[in-house]
Amino acid sequence: MDVYGVILGMALATYATRALAVFLLSRRLRPALERFLVHIPAAVFAALAVPPLLAPEGSLAPGLPALAAFLAVPIAWKTRQVFPTILAGLGAYWLLRWLVG
Amino acid sequence: MTPGPVADARTPASRFRHGLVAALPLVPGVAAFGLVYGVLARQAGLSLPATIAMSALVFAGASQFTAVSIWGRASGPLIVLTTLIINLRHLLMGASVAPHLREESRAWKSILAFGLVDESYALAISRYLQGEGSREFFLAANLALYVSWVLSGLVGGLAGGQVVDPGRWGFGLVFPLTFLGLLVPILGRPITAVVAAVSALVAVATAAWLPGKGNLVLAILVGSGIGAVLEGRWTSTE
Repeated sequence: MDVYGVILGMALATYATRALAVFLLSRRLRPALERFLVHIPAAVFAALAVPPLLAPEGSLAPGLPALAAFLAVPIAWKTRQVFPTILAGLGAYWLLRWLVG
Repeated sequence: MTPGPVADARTPASRFRHGLVAALPLVPGVAAFGLVYGVLARQAGLSLPATIAMSALVFAGASQFTAVSIWGRASGPLIVLTTLIINLRHLLMGASVAPHLREESRAWKSILAFGLVDESYALAISRYLQGEGSREFFLAANLALYVSWVLSGLVGGLAGGQVVDPGRWGFGLVFPLTFLGLLVPILGRPITAVVAAVSALVAVATAAWLPGKGNLVLAILVGSGIGAVLEGRWTSTE
Protein backbone atom coordinates (compact mmCIF):
# COMPACT_ATOMS: atom_id res chain seq x y z
CA MET A 1 0.00 0.00 0.00
CA ASP A 2 1.40 3.41 -0.89
CA VAL A 3 1.03 6.44 1.36
CA TYR A 4 -2.19 7.69 -0.19
CA GLY A 5 -3.63 4.18 -0.25
CA VAL A 6 -3.18 3.98 3.53
CA ILE A 7 -4.68 7.45 4.01
CA LEU A 8 -7.66 6.55 1.83
CA GLY A 9 -8.14 3.31 3.76
CA MET A 10 -8.05 5.24 7.04
CA ALA A 11 -10.58 7.72 5.66
CA LEU A 12 -12.97 4.94 4.59
CA ALA A 13 -12.62 3.11 7.92
CA THR A 14 -13.33 6.31 9.82
CA TYR A 15 -16.28 7.29 7.64
CA ALA A 16 -17.78 3.81 7.98
CA THR A 17 -17.86 4.08 11.79
CA ARG A 18 -19.46 7.52 11.63
CA ALA A 19 -22.03 6.96 8.88
CA LEU A 20 -23.15 3.37 9.43
CA ALA A 21 -25.50 3.94 12.37
CA VAL A 22 -26.69 7.30 11.04
CA PHE A 23 -28.00 5.55 7.91
CA LEU A 24 -29.08 2.22 9.45
CA LEU A 25 -31.07 3.64 12.37
CA SER A 26 -33.23 5.89 10.24
CA ARG A 27 -36.49 4.03 10.88
CA ARG A 28 -38.61 3.85 14.05
CA LEU A 29 -36.70 1.95 16.72
CA ARG A 30 -37.77 -0.59 19.32
CA PRO A 31 -38.38 0.98 22.76
CA ALA A 32 -35.58 -1.07 24.34
CA LEU A 33 -33.09 0.32 21.82
CA GLU A 34 -34.42 3.85 22.32
CA ARG A 35 -33.89 3.48 26.08
CA PHE A 36 -30.30 2.45 25.39
CA LEU A 37 -29.60 5.25 22.91
CA VAL A 38 -30.87 8.06 25.13
CA HIS A 39 -28.20 7.28 27.71
CA ILE A 40 -25.27 7.27 25.28
CA PRO A 41 -24.60 11.04 25.55
CA ALA A 42 -24.06 10.99 29.34
CA ALA A 43 -21.96 7.82 29.02
CA VAL A 44 -19.87 9.40 26.24
CA PHE A 45 -19.32 12.67 28.12
CA ALA A 46 -18.22 10.82 31.27
CA ALA A 47 -15.98 8.38 29.38
CA LEU A 48 -14.24 11.24 27.54
CA ALA A 49 -13.97 13.64 30.50
CA VAL A 50 -12.83 11.47 33.37
CA PRO A 51 -9.93 9.26 32.17
CA PRO A 52 -7.68 12.15 30.96
CA LEU A 53 -8.16 13.75 34.39
CA LEU A 54 -7.84 10.77 36.73
CA ALA A 55 -5.64 8.48 34.65
CA PRO A 56 -3.75 10.57 32.08
CA GLU A 57 -1.21 7.80 31.40
CA GLY A 58 -3.61 4.89 31.69
CA SER A 59 -3.26 4.07 35.38
CA LEU A 60 -4.91 6.00 38.22
CA ALA A 61 -2.81 9.11 38.92
CA PRO A 62 -4.90 12.22 39.63
CA GLY A 63 -2.89 15.43 39.81
CA LEU A 64 -3.32 19.15 39.29
CA PRO A 65 -5.53 18.74 36.17
CA ALA A 66 -7.97 16.61 38.17
CA LEU A 67 -8.04 19.15 41.01
CA ALA A 68 -8.52 22.04 38.58
CA ALA A 69 -11.38 20.23 36.85
CA PHE A 70 -12.96 19.46 40.22
CA LEU A 71 -12.90 23.19 41.04
CA ALA A 72 -14.63 23.90 37.70
CA VAL A 73 -17.58 21.59 38.48
CA PRO A 74 -19.63 24.20 40.43
CA ILE A 75 -19.13 26.65 37.56
CA ALA A 76 -20.38 24.04 35.10
CA TRP A 77 -23.39 23.34 37.32
CA LYS A 78 -24.26 27.01 37.77
CA THR A 79 -23.65 28.34 34.25
CA ARG A 80 -24.65 25.12 32.39
CA GLN A 81 -22.28 26.23 29.65
CA VAL A 82 -19.04 24.88 28.20
CA PHE A 83 -17.05 28.08 27.80
CA PRO A 84 -17.13 29.24 31.47
CA THR A 85 -16.27 25.67 32.48
CA ILE A 86 -13.18 25.69 30.26
CA LEU A 87 -12.13 29.12 31.53
CA ALA A 88 -12.64 28.13 35.18
CA GLY A 89 -10.73 24.87 34.74
CA LEU A 90 -7.80 26.47 32.89
CA GLY A 91 -7.74 29.39 35.35
CA ALA A 92 -7.69 27.02 38.31
CA TYR A 93 -4.96 24.95 36.65
CA TRP A 94 -2.73 27.99 36.01
CA LEU A 95 -3.30 29.23 39.56
CA LEU A 96 -2.47 25.83 41.04
CA ARG A 97 0.66 25.53 38.90
CA TRP A 98 1.73 28.98 40.08
CA LEU A 99 1.05 28.09 43.73
CA VAL A 100 2.91 24.79 43.49
CA GLY A 101 5.75 26.51 41.68
CA MET B 1 -24.39 26.62 24.57
CA THR B 2 -26.42 29.73 25.31
CA PRO B 3 -30.01 29.12 24.29
CA GLY B 4 -30.46 32.42 22.49
CA PRO B 5 -33.70 34.34 22.09
CA VAL B 6 -36.34 32.21 20.40
CA ALA B 7 -36.75 34.51 17.43
CA ASP B 8 -33.01 34.37 16.86
CA ALA B 9 -32.96 30.60 16.31
CA ARG B 10 -35.59 30.60 13.57
CA THR B 11 -33.47 31.07 10.48
CA PRO B 12 -30.94 28.50 9.23
CA ALA B 13 -28.26 31.21 9.20
CA SER B 14 -28.72 32.03 12.87
CA ARG B 15 -28.73 28.34 13.81
CA PHE B 16 -25.48 27.98 11.85
CA ARG B 17 -24.04 30.98 13.68
CA HIS B 18 -24.99 29.44 17.04
CA GLY B 19 -23.05 26.33 16.05
CA LEU B 20 -19.95 28.35 15.24
CA VAL B 21 -20.18 30.23 18.54
CA ALA B 22 -20.63 26.98 20.48
CA ALA B 23 -17.56 25.42 18.84
CA LEU B 24 -15.33 28.48 19.22
CA PRO B 25 -14.15 27.74 22.80
CA LEU B 26 -12.90 24.33 21.62
CA VAL B 27 -10.75 25.71 18.82
CA PRO B 28 -7.56 26.40 20.87
CA GLY B 29 -7.55 22.84 22.20
CA VAL B 30 -8.11 21.31 18.76
CA ALA B 31 -5.55 23.60 17.12
CA ALA B 32 -2.90 22.79 19.74
CA PHE B 33 -3.22 19.10 18.95
CA GLY B 34 -3.42 19.73 15.22
CA LEU B 35 -0.06 21.49 15.49
CA VAL B 36 1.51 18.55 17.28
CA TYR B 37 0.00 16.14 14.76
CA GLY B 38 1.56 18.13 11.89
CA VAL B 39 4.98 18.07 13.54
CA LEU B 40 4.80 14.35 14.33
CA ALA B 41 3.58 13.45 10.85
CA ARG B 42 6.51 15.24 9.23
CA GLN B 43 8.94 13.62 11.68
CA ALA B 44 7.44 10.22 10.80
CA GLY B 45 8.44 10.89 7.18
CA LEU B 46 5.14 11.93 5.63
CA SER B 47 5.35 14.62 2.96
CA LEU B 48 3.57 17.92 3.59
CA PRO B 49 0.77 17.11 1.10
CA ALA B 50 0.28 13.67 2.69
CA THR B 51 0.22 15.22 6.17
CA ILE B 52 -2.56 17.61 5.14
CA ALA B 53 -4.40 15.01 3.06
CA MET B 54 -4.66 12.77 6.13
CA SER B 55 -6.19 15.58 8.20
CA ALA B 56 -8.55 16.62 5.41
CA LEU B 57 -9.74 13.11 4.49
CA VAL B 58 -9.61 11.23 7.81
CA PHE B 59 -10.34 14.02 10.33
CA ALA B 60 -9.77 11.83 13.38
CA GLY B 61 -7.24 13.09 15.91
CA ALA B 62 -6.57 9.97 17.94
CA SER B 63 -6.33 7.75 14.86
CA GLN B 64 -3.98 10.13 13.09
CA PHE B 65 -1.69 10.39 16.11
CA THR B 66 -1.58 6.60 16.33
CA ALA B 67 -1.04 6.21 12.58
CA VAL B 68 1.97 8.55 12.45
CA SER B 69 3.44 7.02 15.61
CA ILE B 70 3.51 3.55 13.98
CA TRP B 71 4.11 4.83 10.41
CA GLY B 72 6.86 2.89 8.66
CA ARG B 73 6.89 0.20 11.34
CA ALA B 74 3.36 -1.13 10.78
CA SER B 75 1.90 -2.34 7.46
CA GLY B 76 -0.75 -0.31 5.64
CA PRO B 77 -3.60 -2.73 6.38
CA LEU B 78 -2.63 -2.77 10.07
CA ILE B 79 -2.77 1.03 10.22
CA VAL B 80 -6.22 0.97 8.58
CA LEU B 81 -7.42 -1.70 11.01
CA THR B 82 -6.09 0.29 13.97
CA THR B 83 -7.97 3.33 12.69
CA LEU B 84 -11.17 1.30 12.48
CA ILE B 85 -10.81 0.09 16.08
CA ILE B 86 -9.99 3.53 17.48
CA ASN B 87 -13.06 5.01 15.78
CA LEU B 88 -15.53 2.31 16.85
CA ARG B 89 -16.82 4.67 19.53
CA HIS B 90 -18.19 6.90 16.75
CA LEU B 91 -20.52 4.05 15.80
CA LEU B 92 -22.22 4.55 19.17
CA MET B 93 -22.26 8.34 18.81
CA GLY B 94 -23.76 7.96 15.33
CA ALA B 95 -26.42 5.65 16.76
CA SER B 96 -27.21 8.18 19.47
CA VAL B 97 -27.64 11.09 17.07
CA ALA B 98 -29.37 9.03 14.33
CA PRO B 99 -32.95 9.48 15.63
CA HIS B 100 -32.47 13.26 15.39
CA LEU B 101 -31.31 13.02 11.77
CA ARG B 102 -34.16 10.71 10.69
CA GLU B 103 -35.91 13.38 8.64
CA GLU B 104 -32.78 14.72 6.96
CA SER B 105 -31.86 13.93 3.34
CA ARG B 106 -29.13 11.45 2.39
CA ALA B 107 -26.84 14.34 1.46
CA TRP B 108 -27.22 15.98 4.88
CA LYS B 109 -26.67 12.64 6.64
CA SER B 110 -23.54 11.97 4.57
CA ILE B 111 -22.02 15.37 5.26
CA LEU B 112 -22.89 15.44 8.97
CA ALA B 113 -21.53 11.91 9.45
CA PHE B 114 -18.21 12.88 7.85
CA GLY B 115 -17.70 15.63 10.42
CA LEU B 116 -18.91 13.67 13.45
CA VAL B 117 -16.04 13.86 15.94
CA ASP B 118 -16.13 13.60 19.75
CA GLU B 119 -16.47 17.35 20.26
CA SER B 120 -18.99 18.16 17.54
CA TYR B 121 -21.13 15.15 18.45
CA ALA B 122 -21.15 16.34 22.06
CA LEU B 123 -22.17 19.89 21.15
CA ALA B 124 -24.84 18.75 18.68
CA ILE B 125 -26.44 16.06 20.88
CA SER B 126 -26.56 18.48 23.82
CA ARG B 127 -28.46 20.92 21.63
CA TYR B 128 -30.83 18.18 20.46
CA LEU B 129 -31.45 17.16 24.08
CA GLN B 130 -32.38 20.77 24.86
CA GLY B 131 -34.87 20.63 22.00
CA GLU B 132 -32.94 23.24 20.04
CA GLY B 133 -30.79 21.02 17.85
CA SER B 134 -30.61 21.45 14.10
CA ARG B 135 -28.63 20.25 11.12
CA GLU B 136 -27.25 23.78 10.64
CA PHE B 137 -25.94 23.90 14.22
CA PHE B 138 -24.37 20.44 13.83
CA LEU B 139 -22.81 21.38 10.45
CA ALA B 140 -21.33 24.60 11.84
CA ALA B 141 -19.80 22.81 14.82
CA ASN B 142 -18.32 20.16 12.48
CA LEU B 143 -16.99 22.79 10.12
CA ALA B 144 -15.36 24.96 12.79
CA LEU B 145 -13.50 21.97 14.22
CA TYR B 146 -12.62 20.65 10.75
CA VAL B 147 -11.10 23.94 9.59
CA SER B 148 -9.17 24.28 12.88
CA TRP B 149 -7.88 20.74 12.61
CA VAL B 150 -6.73 20.95 8.97
CA LEU B 151 -5.18 24.42 9.26
CA SER B 152 -3.32 23.68 12.49
CA GLY B 153 -2.03 20.45 10.94
CA LEU B 154 -0.74 22.49 8.02
CA VAL B 155 1.02 24.96 10.35
CA GLY B 156 2.53 22.09 12.34
CA GLY B 157 3.64 20.41 9.13
CA LEU B 158 5.31 23.61 7.95
CA ALA B 159 6.96 24.15 11.36
CA GLY B 160 8.45 20.68 10.91
CA GLY B 161 11.25 20.14 13.36
CA GLN B 162 10.21 22.86 15.82
CA VAL B 163 9.09 21.23 19.05
CA VAL B 164 5.63 22.22 20.21
CA ASP B 165 4.32 21.17 23.61
CA PRO B 166 0.66 22.07 24.19
CA GLY B 167 0.86 20.43 27.62
CA ARG B 168 2.94 23.36 28.86
CA TRP B 169 -0.04 25.71 28.83
CA GLY B 170 -2.56 23.15 29.93
CA PHE B 171 -4.45 23.22 26.63
CA GLY B 172 -4.75 19.47 26.94
CA LEU B 173 -7.28 20.26 29.66
CA VAL B 174 -9.69 21.86 27.18
CA PHE B 175 -10.74 18.43 25.93
CA PRO B 176 -11.86 16.91 29.27
CA LEU B 177 -13.23 20.29 30.46
CA THR B 178 -15.46 20.46 27.38
CA PHE B 179 -17.12 17.17 28.19
CA LEU B 180 -17.30 18.04 31.88
CA GLY B 181 -19.12 21.25 30.95
CA LEU B 182 -21.65 19.24 28.94
CA LEU B 183 -21.99 16.44 31.51
CA VAL B 184 -22.42 18.31 34.79
CA PRO B 185 -25.63 20.20 33.83
CA ILE B 186 -27.47 16.95 32.97
CA LEU B 187 -26.43 15.10 36.15
CA GLY B 188 -29.53 16.30 38.02
CA ARG B 189 -31.43 13.24 36.82
CA PRO B 190 -30.59 10.21 39.03
CA ILE B 191 -30.42 7.65 36.19
CA THR B 192 -28.13 9.96 34.21
CA ALA B 193 -25.84 10.33 37.22
CA VAL B 194 -25.63 6.54 37.56
CA VAL B 195 -24.91 6.13 33.83
CA ALA B 196 -22.13 8.73 34.01
CA ALA B 197 -20.59 7.26 37.17
CA VAL B 198 -20.57 3.73 35.76
CA SER B 199 -19.19 4.87 32.42
CA ALA B 200 -16.39 6.92 34.04
CA LEU B 201 -15.52 4.04 36.37
CA VAL B 202 -15.34 1.48 33.55
CA ALA B 203 -13.35 3.85 31.30
CA VAL B 204 -10.73 4.50 34.00
CA ALA B 205 -10.59 0.93 35.29
CA THR B 206 -10.05 -0.60 31.83
CA ALA B 207 -7.85 2.12 30.31
CA ALA B 208 -4.67 0.16 30.94
CA TRP B 209 -6.16 -3.12 29.65
CA LEU B 210 -8.05 -1.92 26.60
CA PRO B 211 -5.87 0.40 24.53
CA GLY B 212 -6.97 1.95 21.24
CA LYS B 213 -9.94 3.59 22.99
CA GLY B 214 -11.46 0.14 23.57
CA ASN B 215 -12.07 1.24 27.14
CA LEU B 216 -14.35 4.03 25.88
CA VAL B 217 -16.42 1.63 23.78
CA LEU B 218 -16.84 -0.71 26.75
CA ALA B 219 -17.63 2.18 29.12
CA ILE B 220 -20.29 3.64 26.81
CA LEU B 221 -21.90 0.21 26.25
CA VAL B 222 -21.97 -0.69 29.95
CA GLY B 223 -23.06 2.78 31.09
CA SER B 224 -25.87 3.11 28.54
CA GLY B 225 -26.87 -0.54 29.09
CA ILE B 226 -27.34 0.05 32.81
CA GLY B 227 -29.25 3.23 31.99
CA ALA B 228 -31.58 1.26 29.69
CA VAL B 229 -32.20 -1.38 32.37
CA LEU B 230 -32.89 1.23 35.06
CA GLU B 231 -35.15 3.16 32.70
CA GLY B 232 -37.10 -0.01 31.87
CA ARG B 233 -37.72 -0.73 35.56
CA TRP B 234 -38.63 2.88 36.25
CA THR B 235 -41.30 3.00 33.54
CA SER B 236 -42.68 -0.51 34.21
CA THR B 237 -43.30 0.24 37.90
CA GLU B 238 -45.01 3.54 37.19
